Amino acid sequence: MESALNAIFEVLSFGAIIVLVVLGLGIIASMMGIFNFAHGEFVLLGAFTTYLVYKSGLPVWVGMLAAPVVLGAIGLALERTVIRRFYAAPIVAMLGTYALGLVIRETVRGLIGGLYLSIPEPVVGSYVVGGVQLSKWRLMIILITALVMTASYLLLTRTAFGLRVRAALENPALARASGISTDTIYAATFAFGAALAGLAGALVVPIFSLFADLGIRFLIQGFLAVMLGGIGTFEGPVAGAGVIGILSAALPWAVTPVLADVLVFVIAIVIVKLRPGGLINARRV
Amino acid sequence: VRQDNRQPLAMTRRQFLASAAWMSGAVATGVGSWIVPARWANAAEGPIKVGIATDLTGAIGFAGNANANIAKMVVKDINDAGGVLGRPLELHIEDTASNESVAVANVRKLIQRDKVDVVLGGITSSMRNAIKDVIVTRGKTLYIYPQLYEGKECTPYLFCTGPTPAQQCDEFIPWLMKNGGRRFALPSANYVWPHVLNAYARQVIEKNGGEVIFEEYYPLDQIEYSATVNKIMTNNVDVVFNTVIPPGVGPFFKQLYEAGFGKRGGRLSCVYYDENTLNINAPYEMEGLASCLDYFRAVDASDPFSAKLQSEYEKEFPGSVLFCAGSAATGMYRGLKLWEAAVKEAGKLDRDSVAAALDHAKIAEGPGGPAEMVPGKRHCKMQMYTAVAKSGKYEIVARSNGLVDPKEC
Repeated sequence: MESALNAIFEVLSFGAIIVLVVLGLGIIASMMGIFNFAHGEFVLLGAFTTYLVYKSGLPVWVGMLAAPVVLGAIGLALERTVIRRFYAAPIVAMLGTYALGLVIRETVRGLIGGLYLSIPEPVVGSYVVGGVQLSKWRLMIILITALVMTASYLLLTRTAFGLRVRAALENPALARASGISTDTIYAATFAFGAALAGLAGALVVPIFSLFADLGIRFLIQGFLAVMLGGIGTFEGPVAGAGVIGILSAALPWAVTPVLADVLVFVIAIVIVKLRPGGLINARRV
Repeated sequence: VRQDNRQPLAMTRRQFLASAAWMSGAVATGVGSWIVPARWANAAEGPIKVGIATDLTGAIGFAGNANANIAKMVVKDINDAGGVLGRPLELHIEDTASNESVAVANVRKLIQRDKVDVVLGGITSSMRNAIKDVIVTRGKTLYIYPQLYEGKECTPYLFCTGPTPAQQCDEFIPWLMKNGGRRFALPSANYVWPHVLNAYARQVIEKNGGEVIFEEYYPLDQIEYSATVNKIMTNNVDVVFNTVIPPGVGPFFKQLYEAGFGKRGGRLSCVYYDENTLNINAPYEMEGLASCLDYFRAVDASDPFSAKLQSEYEKEFPGSVLFCAGSAATGMYRGLKLWEAAVKEAGKLDRDSVAAALDHAKIAEGPGGPAEMVPGKRHCKMQMYTAVAKSGKYEIVARSNGLVDPKEC
């Protein structure tokens, strides 16, 4: 019983981490139609920002607040200079963002000397509930993920800005004719996605420590999640991320870890085969 | 995806040719080759060429740079003291880039272009296996491998100067049983070193009356260990003999700490943990972690030569690239000095003469103490130390009684 409760908590918390990481990736993929291969490195930069702020002597949570702002700015700058040139060619966009990610990753590797650095959690320790240890920080991540997810959903479905974003996605020409600046909308959406990545990086870095390859693992899982969930909706990638996160944390409880790693992919591919449009295949947000 | 009035990226043939030419030029001239010439010369015979092939870039760049640094320092000291056989040493450093296919091409440069007299380097076992053939078989050159590893490397002309499983387990595991308990868990990354080391460790554990509760392997990039931690906690494991590597090891130790493994008296141990890996976790998460290596900084207090070496290194290379044992830097020092002793004894540089002398070479001083090759075994006897992490620093809790035998080949 204790063990089962413990398992549920750990699996949920890892699911939340993957959802948090994939959120920004999914929004950019769904709303802009380009797959951002530098997303993992945006997560890394969020973690790196937190580290820099923490190292300068400020509390960790200041760094965590700063990370989404910094990443939003970086995302905006990159969109204005690089990403906007890729909209016409999604395949080139994948290669281009991959190259961007490579540059970011290797630069960060140089800056931290290729080492693994620990960053403390803002809240240390764990609650003991019925003999089960619940890490406070993992609990926080579950809560923050739920909050951010709800807020992003409301922003995209219930506000005027969200309406413009969806309009720019569904019919850019008509949106432009109606006086919506698709340029501005794309820039804002990309910056928003990057900010979410920054937040994700800042929140998970105390758990995984800071290292240059932090983003790669998440990129592959994120890509899988978006494929699984389906592009074009907000819920799709989030649902996909939930499935991938929970599968990859739950399977090692049941089968050999080395097998579990492969099984996640096999199951995901089978689902994509059965539902080629993704788990949630809707034309609206 | 959507209509847009921008043109896709267009590239003319001329532009393509220009960039292709630039790229191939960059590749051909060899990014990642460094030569450190001596400050003086022997006009008659020229310098002796020492090749270093190590991971200056990529995932384990932090370790490779320490190897290159210590090699520069040792070679400079040898040259300042008059060189070897009246000739100065010239250092040729190639980047193996934490990538075996890049490495093979670069090491070939050392052999074919630079015609070095000896090659030292390689950190991971997969790297050693990738480059040893280029150096030893086809290159007909002497190769010295400096890293702690799983043993069983018995190729002629290949000498190992890092610790073997026997050196890291024979005294360490009984210590763990006395200071932890009898029930062991062996969580491991799924590659050759943990598999072979665990097979040896299991023997030692069982011979001493201990018990292996589970031995489990994980993908190298796994970063979520809740299932493992749960197994450790519910089976009342006393000692975690860890061979999970970064990036997984940080989150793993953190989850173990959060589950209360240390609090209920569990002993964490990891035989590659040195000063470089102290930063992966917060000090309280790895309090009590035990490691067994040929050198720790804490040895400096009792061994003046190690202290002198460490301070000389820090003066020359201040910053984050540390001189420590887990990343092969101490093995690199030992390898160079043993080779120097061998060349001096042989009086010439051909491979067979140097190998014959290196077979029984000794050094009276080194990081952690003296070292000597075991004749016929191409492995190195050395002092071993057991250290425990306390508040983010190691304290020496046990040391070997004299030099420990590698028990290889």
